[in-house]
Amino acid sequence: MHSQWAYSGHNSHLHGPCHHDDRVHCPPCQDEMPLAKTKKKKPKKESNDAEDAEEPGLEMEGMVSRRQSESRDPLTPEPQDVQPQKKKKKKKAQTPDGENAQADMANGGDGVEQQTDGEEVIRKPKKKKKPKTTERQYSNEVDIEDEDIITDTLPSIPQHSLFSAPQGHSQPVGKMFIEKNRRFHAADRLDVGKPINQIEDYLEMRSLWTTRDVALRVHSGFRVIGLFSHGFLAGYAVWNIIVVYVLAGEQLTTLSNLLNQYHTLAYPAQSLLYLLLAISTVSAFDRVNLAKASVALRGFLTMDPAALASFLYFAALILSLSQQMTSDRINLYVSANATLWPEGSEHRFLQPWIVVNLVVALLVGLAWVFVSTRPDLDYTEGERSSNTRTLVSRLMMNSTDNVIIRDQCILLQRMFPSKNFCKSKLIILC
Amino acid sequence: MLQTNNYSLVLLIQLALLAYDLFVNSFSELLRAAPVVQLVLFIIQDIAILFNVIIILLMMFNTYVFQVGLVSLLLERFRALLLLSALYLTLSISFHCWIMNLRWLDSNRFVWTDGLQTLFVFQRLSAVLYYYFYKRTTEYLGDPRLYEDSAWLRDAFARARQ
Repeated sequence: MHSQWAYSGHNSHLHGPCHHDDRVHCPPCQDEMPLAKTKKKKPKKESNDAEDAEEPGLEMEGMVSRRQSESRDPLTPEPQDVQPQKKKKKKKAQTPDGENAQADMANGGDGVEQQTDGEEVIRKPKKKKKPKTTERQYSNEVDIEDEDIITDTLPSIPQHSLFSAPQGHSQPVGKMFIEKNRRFHAADRLDVGKPINQIEDYLEMRSLWTTRDVALRVHSGFRVIGLFSHGFLAGYAVWNIIVVYVLAGEQLTTLSNLLNQYHTLAYPAQSLLYLLLAISTVSAFDRVNLAKASVALRGFLTMDPAALASFLYFAALILSLSQQMTSDRINLYVSANATLWPEGSEHRFLQPWIVVNLVVALLVGLAWVFVSTRPDLDYTEGERSSNTRTLVSRLMMNSTDNVIIRDQCILLQRMFPSKNFCKSKLIILC
Repeated sequence: MLQTNNYSLVLLIQLALLAYDLFVNSFSELLRAAPVVQLVLFIIQDIAILFNVIIILLMMFNTYVFQVGLVSLLLERFRALLLLSALYLTLSISFHCWIMNLRWLDSNRFVWTDGLQTLFVFQRLSAVLYYYFYKRTTEYLGDPRLYEDSAWLRDAFARARQ
């Protein structure tokens, strides 16, 4: 355990309660601490009770407001270097730190106990006057100069207890220490300005992203791809069957013309049809939440558009796959004409193929109509909660301050400029 | 605890493997100029299916539910995907072996029979179901509740011990 104030020197910033994230420790917050301490110490200086009363109290403050940072460990040796300077400055000698250090070390273990110890120590100073005078006599006997004796009520560096609050005078310097990746880096004050707040805010927003948000984002992204696939498949299927009927002629009298013109397109068309059908079917299954049998069955029984669409897409997929053999036969019309296409066999092979393609076109067209009537319907995602809404609702729950909500609203607006959060029903206070 | 960056990367890999699988299922019949091209595509596709199964199992092993010992709970929840993955892998390997055996000497030959057509239909249908359940499972495994302690997990653990 180490004190958050351990590295405080007269030229360093006192870092207040630190958080394990990239934040700039606010100097004004730190400066408040020394002021509070001086106010407490003034009346006690005269009675020379400062060290005894302050240190437990400061330890209490340190315990209450402390959040440990590992990066502070290397800085602990600094206080010892600063002590000799303060010894020379301070002429008044108070009690040495030895006895008080031991008392503080004993009290430094438990924050609860320190509260009672603080009260007890406050009563004790009156009793300790006599030992201090005797100690001065002893110090004179060993030829210690007065300059070497610290009498100032403000110990320079708290070397006694790890848990005591800083007692040195901190002075502002031009540099600020920014914690990044558990280490502190010095940076000029001028360089760190407003963008820091934006970075902090951005990092706060980024820290709100969980794996669930990523999954929801992927799900909604695939829904968009699926929606495009629905429409493209419907248009492509209709175009395909129109071309086939135009080439086949009235009553399918010019099938040889169809074979001659369409044989190079048959297999690529079949492949593209399967690709679009696979994506559309998966998207339709997502909308109807097929994995939950109860939800899917209820959708089918209630003639839910998403359920009907998924059924239609699945049927179209089966029908399309059943024509793979005929498509390959059409594809090989030129190379294996004699064996694959004997005389009079064109009508026998092509008519079922054309009918099935017509049915597939009707099925996917109808499914597209069902999906497009309610494009936002998605039973897998639940209550149509979007990722932004999740973020917003989380922010709303975490903050009750109108100003904070408004600031977060502004941040969201910057992140998602296409959406108007101020007019959204989810944010009322913007 | 599952980190967002790690999960995003794993999700990306899984979706890429799924996209490759869909690409091969759709366009492998067009890329049969030389039989070795289709052979390489099929081999990579089967390995991709196997990798996907391994990745999803690793994600399951990484959950707090699994580490606590409630394996049956996970298996029951994801049994549809595991069964479908095994079925799809079996059908894919069977179809690939059969069609490569038929097309090895002449890739531009008409090789379709009723049996091959049936196997083809089942393999492609199971592919679509595999895509759907796999995507759903991999999104579900992004739920942070699977990676932390909670009341329902303790109840499930208590019930399992009984």
